[in-house]
Formats: sequence, C-alpha cells, structure tokens
Amino acid sequence: MTAARLLRHETILAILTVLALIVLANLSDKFFTAENLLNQGRLMSEVGLVALAMTFVIVTGGIDLSVGSILGMTAILLGVFWQNVGLPLPLAMVAALLCGTLAGLGNGLIITRFKVPPLIATLATLALYRGLAEGISQARSVRGYPEWFFYFGQGELLGVPFQLWLLGLLTTIAGVILGLTTFGRATYAVGANETAARFSGIRVDATKLWIYTAAGFLAGLAAVIFVSRVTTTRSDMGTGLELDVITGVVLGGTSIFGGKGTIVGTALGLILIQALKNGLALSGVKGDGTIVVIGVVLIAAILAGALFDRNRGG
Amino acid sequence: MGDRGPAGALPTAASPAALAFPIELRGASKSFAGIRVLNDVSFDMRVGEVHALLGENGAGKSTLIKILSGLYRADEGEISINGRAVKFATPREAHAAGIATVHQELLLFPELTVAENIFLGQAPKTHWRLLDWQAMRQRARQLLDSLDSPDLDIDAKVGTLSIANRQRVEIARALSQDARVLIMDEPTAALAEADVQRLMDIVRRLKARGVAIVYVSHRLSEIFALADRVTVLRDGNHVGTLDIGEVDENRLVSMMVGRAIDRLYPPKQGESGESLLELRHVAYRNVVSGISFDLKRGEILGIAGLVGSGRTETALTIFGITPATAGEILIDGSPVTIASPEAARDLGIAYIPEDRGSQGLIRTQTISENVALANLKRLSTGFMVDAAKVRKEAENAIRRFGIRARGPDQTVRELSGGNQQKVVLGKWLATNPRILIMDEPTRGIDVGSKAEIHILMRKLAGEGMAILMISSELPEVLGMSDRVLVMNGGRIVATFDRQDATPEAVGAAMTRAGGEKAA
Repeated sequence: MTAARLLRHETILAILTVLALIVLANLSDKFFTAENLLNQGRLMSEVGLVALAMTFVIVTGGIDLSVGSILGMTAILLGVFWQNVGLPLPLAMVAALLCGTLAGLGNGLIITRFKVPPLIATLATLALYRGLAEGISQARSVRGYPEWFFYFGQGELLGVPFQLWLLGLLTTIAGVILGLTTFGRATYAVGANETAARFSGIRVDATKLWIYTAAGFLAGLAAVIFVSRVTTTRSDMGTGLELDVITGVVLGGTSIFGGKGTIVGTALGLILIQALKNGLALSGVKGDGTIVVIGVVLIAAILAGALFDRNRGG
Repeated sequence: MGDRGPAGALPTAASPAALAFPIELRGASKSFAGIRVLNDVSFDMRVGEVHALLGENGAGKSTLIKILSGLYRADEGEISINGRAVKFATPREAHAAGIATVHQELLLFPELTVAENIFLGQAPKTHWRLLDWQAMRQRARQLLDSLDSPDLDIDAKVGTLSIANRQRVEIARALSQDARVLIMDEPTAALAEADVQRLMDIVRRLKARGVAIVYVSHRLSEIFALADRVTVLRDGNHVGTLDIGEVDENRLVSMMVGRAIDRLYPPKQGESGESLLELRHVAYRNVVSGISFDLKRGEILGIAGLVGSGRTETALTIFGITPATAGEILIDGSPVTIASPEAARDLGIAYIPEDRGSQGLIRTQTISENVALANLKRLSTGFMVDAAKVRKEAENAIRRFGIRARGPDQTVRELSGGNQQKVVLGKWLATNPRILIMDEPTRGIDVGSKAEIHILMRKLAGEGMAILMISSELPEVLGMSDRVLVMNGGRIVATFDRQDATPEAVGAAMTRAGGEKAA
C-alpha cells in the first residue's frame, strides 16, 4: 500500500510527538494549557507557512535558503510602501506580497533558466535579498501601524489565533496539492528522477518555477503576519528562519535528496520542535540545552527513518 | 596449463593452475521476503575455462553472482575453494579469495585517472607510506598492455572514456587484485560490435592465463564463440550444466524458456499505409543534420548505426527533448512544432528511451506511479489524480504485457530488467500513441521477453501504429524492420528495403569512414 508506506515515518513521528507532549506536560503544569498551546501555535505560524512551500522545494530535490531574507525584505517593503511611499496599508500589503512572490520567481528563474544548483542560487539570493532589505531600510524601523492591522498577528477568531486558521487552511491545501493532484505527482517525479520526469512529458521547469514562486509568496505572507504580531518592521527580521524551516521539514521525513516527503510529516515535525522548545523552557531547561535536545531528536528521527527504509529494501 | 599441483596445496596467486576446481558452489538457495529466488543451485568453475551463465531476467543469475562475489549470503548451501569450505561475509573477503566482478553498471570514479581507478584502495606505497606514483603508473601500463590495450592513456580521467574503455579499466582493476575468478555480468550489453570483438579477445587472453571466467550474456552468439560450459537457470532452478559442444541454440533457448521458441522474428502483418511522420532536412545544432525520411502507418522502420552515429539524437529531436534547430517535421502532412516531450506526446508520439533506469522509469516509485506519469491528464479529474483510474491502468498494463509483479504497488526497481522494460512500454502505450519510437527496445533483456516484445511490436504495427526502431543489434534491425535507415556521422547515409538489407550491405554503410552520402 502506497499510503501506508509513505506514512511510516509519519507514524513514528506522531508517536514521538505524543510522547513528548506527555513528558512535557508532566514536567511543567503551565505547558498543557489551552492558552499556552494556542500561543505556541501563534509563534510557529510564520515558520509553518514557509515550511509548506519548503516541503515542495525539498521534495523536488532542491533547497531554498533565501526564504528568511525574502521575509525580511517583504517586511521592510511593507513599511516603506506604507510610510515612505504613502500607499494605503492594504495596498502596501498587496504590493509587498507581490515583491516577495517576485523574489521567489527570481530564484526559480535562476535555477531553471541558468541551471544553477538551488543551493548556490538561493545562497546568493539569501545575501542579495537581505542586502536589499538593509539598503532600503537604512537601519530605520517602521512603527505606528493602525489598530486593525494587528488582527493578522494578534487577533483571534472563535478563540483561536487568526494566523493559526490561516496556517490550518493553507496546510490542508498544500497537503491536497502534494498528495492528490497531478501537480503533486509531478513534484515527486521531478525529485525522484528529473530525467525520467522530463522524458515522461512532465513540465519539469514549470513545476519548479511554480514551487520557488510559492516559497516567495509564503515567505511574504509570513512577513506580513510577523510584522503584525510584533508591531514593528526591522531589516533583520527572519534571519535564520530558513534553518528552522528546513529542520522542521527534514524532521518531518522529507528526503533532502528529493522524491519523498509529506505535508503531514512537516506539520508533525514543526509541532514537535515547537513543543520541545516551549516545554523545555517552561521546565527550566536553558536555551542551549533545548537546542541540544532538538539536534538529538532530529538525528534520532532520521536514523529511525533510515532503519525502516533499509528493512523495507530487503 | 595442464600440470596440476598436489591436492590441498596452498592457493597462491602465482600458480592459479595448481587448482583443479578453484571455486564450487553447492546447493545454494536464497529467499527474499519469503520468495525463493534461488533454489538448490550448484555451480563450479575450472581453471582457464569460460563458464557461461544463462537464464531469463529474474531466473536468478544476478543472485547467484552476488552470492559468489560476497554481496549476498546464501540461506543454504556452501561455497568451497579448492575443496575447503569458505564463507564470504563481505565483497572484500571474496576479493581476497581471488574473485573479482565486472558489474553491468561500471563502478568507477569518473574524476580520477585510469591508473588511480585501477589501484584505488590498494595503491603501491613508498618507503614513507606515501603513494608510489611511479610504480602505480608503471603497473597500470603493464596491466593494460597485457589486455592488448596499449592505446589506453593511463593519465586520462575515466569520465572521458568510452564505455568499452571503462570496461577495460575495470577488468584491469580486477586483474590487479590477482583475480583467479572473474565474473562478467553482461559485459557486452552496452558495447558496439567492434568493441564486442575486442572484449572477446581479452576474455580469450585471460582464459589462456588460467583465469576462470563466469560470463553472463543474453547474446547466444558470444556464448557459442567463447564458452566451454554453460549453466542454465530458470525461475531460480538449476536446469542444467552442459559442455558447449553438447548444445545448440534452440536447445539453449528452450532450456531457458522452458518451451520452444520457434520463430525469433514474427512476420509482417498487413501493408504499410500512408505517411504519418515526415522529416524534411531536420537538424539539431551540428549533432544531426539533413535528416529526411517518411514513417508510414503500419510500418517498422529500423535505424542502424554505431553508437554516436546520431540515431538516438534523431529520436530525441523528434520527441522534443532537443527540439529541431532546422528543417521541418510533418505529421499527417501538416507541419508541426515539437518543442517539448509534452508537445510530442500530445501529438501522439511515444518514446521508449534506451536507458530505462535513468530515462524510462522512476525506479523508486511503484508500477502505478510510473504508468500514470505519462498519462496524468487523462487519469485525473480536474487537478485531482483519480487513484482508482490509475490503479486500473496499472492493472491493465500488468495484464496486457504479462508483467511479473506482486501488483500495481510494487516498486519498479524490484522487478527484473525485462519486466521493467514492459512497465515502460505499458506507460507509453497507455498514452495511445500513433507513432512509437523505440530506442534499443530489447537491450539487456532475456530471450523470452525479447520475443514477446518483438511479437508485440508486430501486433502494434499490424494495428496501424508507425514504429521507429533503433537497435545496436544488427540481427534485430534486419529481422524486425520493413525498411532500414543507416546513420553515420549524424546523417542518414543509406536506405534499404527489407529484401536488400543484408548484414554486409548495412554493416558496410554503418562503418564507412566519414559518413559520405550514399544514394
């Protein structure tokens, strides 16, 4: 059964996550409360949004290191469009999102048209987009957004943070696209054997272009929510975001060599990391201790996955 | 050779002839996941003999070879060297015992030189434990000269060499380890005719030196030319081991297949119809140029030529992988632009590529997923893939082509070569093509599957499909084609009707220097 096979890693991960939740709940009584959990959900939304696109990117066998920089650049552009250019805020949001999307399209074009390996291409744009963000911002932060704008980052709908609804909706859409559509089949095919995909009439370049563009769009969306959540715009926003995102995706069982991975896995990976970060902090473990634990969990999950893979290979 | 040392003498590399039976495998069985792939098979090798191993894909040849070379361990049975039982836990131990393997996929490092590849992991060292480059280059030179390859540059990077030359490097590597048994797994599958002759000379030289050679090949002509004995496997069982003098081609084939295959090439059904595909002075950069021909409905048009003559490149241009840079392609008499494989497929063109592992299939995916890949549009509703339709399509392919598999969810890489090729066929015939391009349709495939594919090709042509077939096997081209095009130097140099296509005439056109234009 295809589904059963694909879900094997996810099953291990789900069990691991439940175990972690039980242990953490016992370590601190402040951890397993609705308020804390919803707040953690709020905090992981930005990484979560970008991780959805990153799952597609890594399934194609690529990588996108520039997402943190795109987030920073979009955030700055949002502030600049609104305050310096004088666009109405909704229009500024749309314009900034468009720029984030274009930044992603730029990555895709470099990778598909000039056949630059994704690692190199996005390493370059990581520097490029961050540099642009810093150049445009002139090290000034933008504050004083109107009250309604904070709804995206701080508001609630039916008692649940707004961005968690958004993340849930987009996760479902991404899961359906990757798991059930022709586009999803093409994504797996490109990652598993790009030549065979091309020889089968799959539009390899178009598929990649869409995916890197989507990564830019989602990084832009995460930027808007980030700015709304912290009420300010700074050029160093999103620095290092790419590593959190990639960690979540890889922990979720997506193969860095491409061809394998699911959105469910990514969601579980992100939840596990966020739970560990928060739960250990609440139990009094210092920040560096938490990082060590996350590193160990990542290695353990990957080893477990590899072990299952080998048993299956026969 | 003749003189044998006293029984039980220590096997030394210097006197391989001292061993009457270098290696014997008795009663070997092996199962994977409960399926028995090798059942009580015995196999032995004598000094200085070529022992051919024959069988259809999936018969257990690869498993047997892997047991001998230490990659697998047999569930039952034992290996003995010179009468003494041994166990190989790793390929390294098999090497140490003098067993070397030249694999079908050559395991060399493209960025290292010929000499470095030969001595990788066992390079001669100087007094100071540093690499002794001089000795390494000298010994590499000697080894290659002893293989009648004085033309091979020991300082060339292996990545720049032809397949035939890489194979020689691999053989030299095996010999550098004082191999007394050399296992060759389909060594000629990827070679052009001239290189095959040369390889066979090398095998004869090794044999004269007392090396025992296990020779796996689907080409019966090579086996009759080289082998002393032949062992046939079928469905994991040992059918028999015979001296080559006791058998003929028909007998071997029926031993392999378990039934008699009467005619190798099925006759033409019906008449060729009107032109379906026409090429007018088509070129791709300077790789192929001035390509003009018609492909008619119901016709099998063969393209003969040496590797690098532009055969595959022509197919890739028709299929849109390397779109034509000049000339005109017409389908049903109207000009078309084929800029991508997708466009080609939508025009009813299917291409069965020469390298099924890297171009034809995604081997880590299932049969269903592979069959669906070229048919996603048809097997989906809107954007959503219809899992039930995909499954049905895969089941159809399995039934129609007799693919031996557990079911649509089996991963393709677990299938034998012949069955993998049938999955590629299933995937492309599911697109309902009108024009089918087959590049080396039976390379590395056993006799039984080969005959099935030939019969299928005739049937498809009989139903009105136009088939363009590229093959390095001259008998296949001559046996299957209604007309034969010969390519040489990126151009079509000759065209023959079936009755005029003799091996001599086609062979001469293939090898004529410079590829000057013929009438």
